[in-house]
Formats: sequence, structure tokens, C-alpha cells
Amino acid sequence: MLSDPAAAISVAFDKDGILEEMCNGKGYIDMSTVDAETSIKISEGVTSKGGRFLEAPVSGSKKPAEDGQLIILAAGEKGLYDEAIPIFDVLGKKSFFLGQVGNGAKMKLVVNMIMGSMMNGFSEGLELTEKSGLDPRTLLDVLDLGAMANPMFKMKGPSMLKSNYPPAFPLKHQQKDMRLALALGDENAVSMPVAAAANEAFKKARSMGLGDQDFSAVHETVKGPKHP
Amino acid sequence: MFIGGYRAVYKFKCDVTVWNRTKSKCDPLISLGATYKASPEEVAAYCDVTIAMLADPNSAVDIACGKNGAANGMGPGKGYVDVSTVDDGTSKLICERIKATGASFLEVLLFFFASPSLAPVSGSKKPAEDGQLIFLTAGDQSLYERVAPLLEIMGKSKFYLGDIGKGATMKLVVNMVMGSMMATFSEGLMLSEKVGLDPSVLVEVISQGAISAPMYRLKGPSMIQSQYPTAFPLKHQQKDLRLALGLAESVSQPIPIAAAANELYKVAKSQGLSDEDFSAVIEALKSKTKE
Repeated sequence: MLSDPAAAISVAFDKDGILEEMCNGKGYIDMSTVDAETSIKISEGVTSKGGRFLEAPVSGSKKPAEDGQLIILAAGEKGLYDEAIPIFDVLGKKSFFLGQVGNGAKMKLVVNMIMGSMMNGFSEGLELTEKSGLDPRTLLDVLDLGAMANPMFKMKGPSMLKSNYPPAFPLKHQQKDMRLALALGDENAVSMPVAAAANEAFKKARSMGLGDQDFSAVHETVKGPKHP
Repeated sequence: MFIGGYRAVYKFKCDVTVWNRTKSKCDPLISLGATYKASPEEVAAYCDVTIAMLADPNSAVDIACGKNGAANGMGPGKGYVDVSTVDDGTSKLICERIKATGASFLEVLLFFFASPSLAPVSGSKKPAEDGQLIFLTAGDQSLYERVAPLLEIMGKSKFYLGDIGKGATMKLVVNMVMGSMMATFSEGLMLSEKVGLDPSVLVEVISQGAISAPMYRLKGPSMIQSQYPTAFPLKHQQKDLRLALGLAESVSQPIPIAAAANELYKVAKSQGLSDEDFSAVIEALKSKTKE
């Protein structure tokens, strides 16, 4: 389970990498978050050596991982998926088999894209309530009561209001995922103006040195300069 | 809403007086023991607290400030609670008129719990009867405290937000977040479909994780079918985003995501989707081939 395409490729293809030992009968399950192209590349590397391949990126961060509550988005060889189910049941609360290699990667990116945009929209709302003379905690309460309520707002909202961003999912990884999702949209001529705006906000946050903080630190980009 | 409200006051054994433009609509309440008065003015003169619920700004102003309007019957010690669908400016106008009589004023904005439509009261009655309303109030705090027990029976939650106008502001911000969420959800559905995934699987995956919101679960399936039965009209969502942009500008706050979302709703409006549900914004992302 590596965090980006370069690392995943390196572990597979480099000297002392996985492929040196790959052969018939062995299976490789890559739970990294990468783009579809990288996943397909690794898959071809594995299967050309007679091995079996399954991509299985996960949705969920530190706490869900600790609690075995990850969502597993698998694609590739169905037989290997079926064999892996007992492991997946321990690691996660639900797993999906999505078809051909690349589909797991794509699904993960789409989910993370929505998550990144939602975080930005949420952050804008929190700041606007405060700037308008309202109590942002009331916004949290109102959102939590209605159709928009979701665990992410509930979990992150209070710490964002205190400018606390303990890393559960580092901002630099979220921005990478936004970038990969935009590239996917680019390849397929899909219009994504909100995601593009969100990506810009994450880039700005990185330039402010917030890359290693939780991705909720993007909240710092909507705040104006602090007045003395 | 009427019936639910009446049940509320009935539990407290208050005297209830009613008026409606169409008298026959009051009959169920009259049969439960309510008194009928012939005009808003008479209702206001007779009661300690008058609660008004109109569907649009013109009616709200007319009932409060017009000939035989409630303001004529108001005075010190009385309260006026306006639950109408009005904009900030209209609310302030009515408030001034009421306060000029010496009475106190409270504005109340409504949200329906677990309904994707954060729409004004004109619309589904069921959430009101089941006490599933969320009240955002602003104005006179002691009047709020006076009617708080009634709101508690009529609804799920209530909030007092401060001075007049703050209720409308909070509603605007909530709707801004909702509009942005719907826009990004639409982008996700479109992207998943275009890259060969099943968008209904995307909806299922989302429902399992940290970004699972009732709105996605409720709207996703119909959006995938290109159906947008109107719960909250797209034109109202776009209007609220426009107002939120104005508000953000007035306090010098950048809101790029809301701005990008607003553009999509504008495109959807230009496609003739103003009266569809706001989830129709997904159509703005679809490519329309030129003939």
C-alpha cells in the first residue's frame, strides 16, 4: 500500500522489486492509490511474469483503518479477489469488485475528488458564517440535522473552527488525488469546474506549507489575513 | 403546518384564533375549537402573539402592513412571529412596521429535516405534521423565549441567531453549502460514467464512507435516470448562491467553489431547467452536440 504512483512503480519494477520474484501461482494485490494507467502498468508487469494481479485501493483514513472500517475498491482478477475476501473482511467493512484493472483506481479518485470539493465548500460556509457575525458552531448543528449531514463534516468541523488540522489524510495526498481526478476528466473531456477550483485551493494550501497537515487545513486558504 | 401548529398550541391549552384568505381552510381548526376573526388586524388585536405564515413577500407585507393588516392591531406587550417566505429586505420592512407599534418581532425560517429540499414552507406538509422542522429564528429574544415551547412541539430543532436578518443569512449559507455539494456530486456522477464506471455503484460506495449524506442517497438514483422531480427549484438554488456571493463580497471573503458552482446553475437555467429540482444542475455538465 503505497501513497503515490512513483512509489508503487518503484516497489514493483525497481531492483529488488516485487517483479523479480513474481512468477506463476503468485498473486500481487496493490492497495496503493494511483492513477489507472499506473495500475494497468503494474498489472501488466505482474501478469507477464505469470502472476495474478488485483488492485485494491481503499477509501477511509487513519481511524477507519485502525478500526477495520475501510472501504475496499478492488478490480482485476476475480479469482484473486475471491481469495482475498477473508483479508478484506478484516481490513474493511465493505469491499467492491469493480471489473477490469483501473476501475478501482478510478473509483477511488472520483470519491476523493468529491470529498476534496466538499471540504472546500464546507470551509467556505464556516468562514462565511463567522464573517457575517453568526456562530459557525450553529452552522455545524444545522448541517448535522439535515440532508447534508455527513461524518466528515461532523468529525472535522469542530477542529477546523479551532484551526487544528491533525493529519488523518495529509493535504498533499488529497491534492495529488484532485490532480489525478482532473487528469482523468481531461482525458475524457469531462467538465469539472468545481473540482478545478478545489484543486487550486489545495495547491494554495501547499504553497502555504500545509502539505503535511490534514486536508481540512485547506480552510486556511479562505481565511483573510489576520488583523491585529 | 396549520394543523401541526394548532396541535402545538392545543397541548399548551392556549386560545387559538385563526384567519386565512380562504376561510374554508380554517374549518378543520375551527372544528377543533379555534376562534375565527375576519381580518389579520382583528387577529392581532385579539391575541398576545400573532404567527404569520405566507408563501411570498407580497402576501407577507400585505398581511402585516396592508389595509386591515396585523400591524394595525399590534401594540406594546404583543408579539409578531413571521414564518413567511421572504427575503431579507422584506423581513426588515415588516419588522420596522411592527416595532413601530411597540410590539416585538421575530422572524422564523424553516428547514425540513431529512428532506433534500431546504425549501420554504410552501410544499410538503408532512414534515410539519411529524414535527420534522428546523426553525432558524432571529429578532426579539424574549419573544423567542415566549414561543420556544410551541416551536419545540411543532419541530425538531430551533435556533436563535440574533438580530433580524441573521436567520436569512444562516439559511443562505446553508443553501450555499448545499448547492456546492450538489455541484460536486454531479461532477462525480458524470466523471464516473464517462470513465466506464457504474454511477449507481459510485452512489453506493459514497454511502459507505465519510462523505455519506442523505441528499446523495436520495437524489443520486433519479439523477442517474436524468429525472429531477422538483423538491427545491433550481432557480431558487441559483438565487441563493448569487445572494451568498454578494454576502461574501460584502465581507471580502473569497468563495471560489461556490462561484464555480453558481456558474453551473446559471448554465442549467439557460438550458431551461429553472423549475426542475436543483439536482438538474448535472445537465449543465453534459455536452450538448450542436446540430
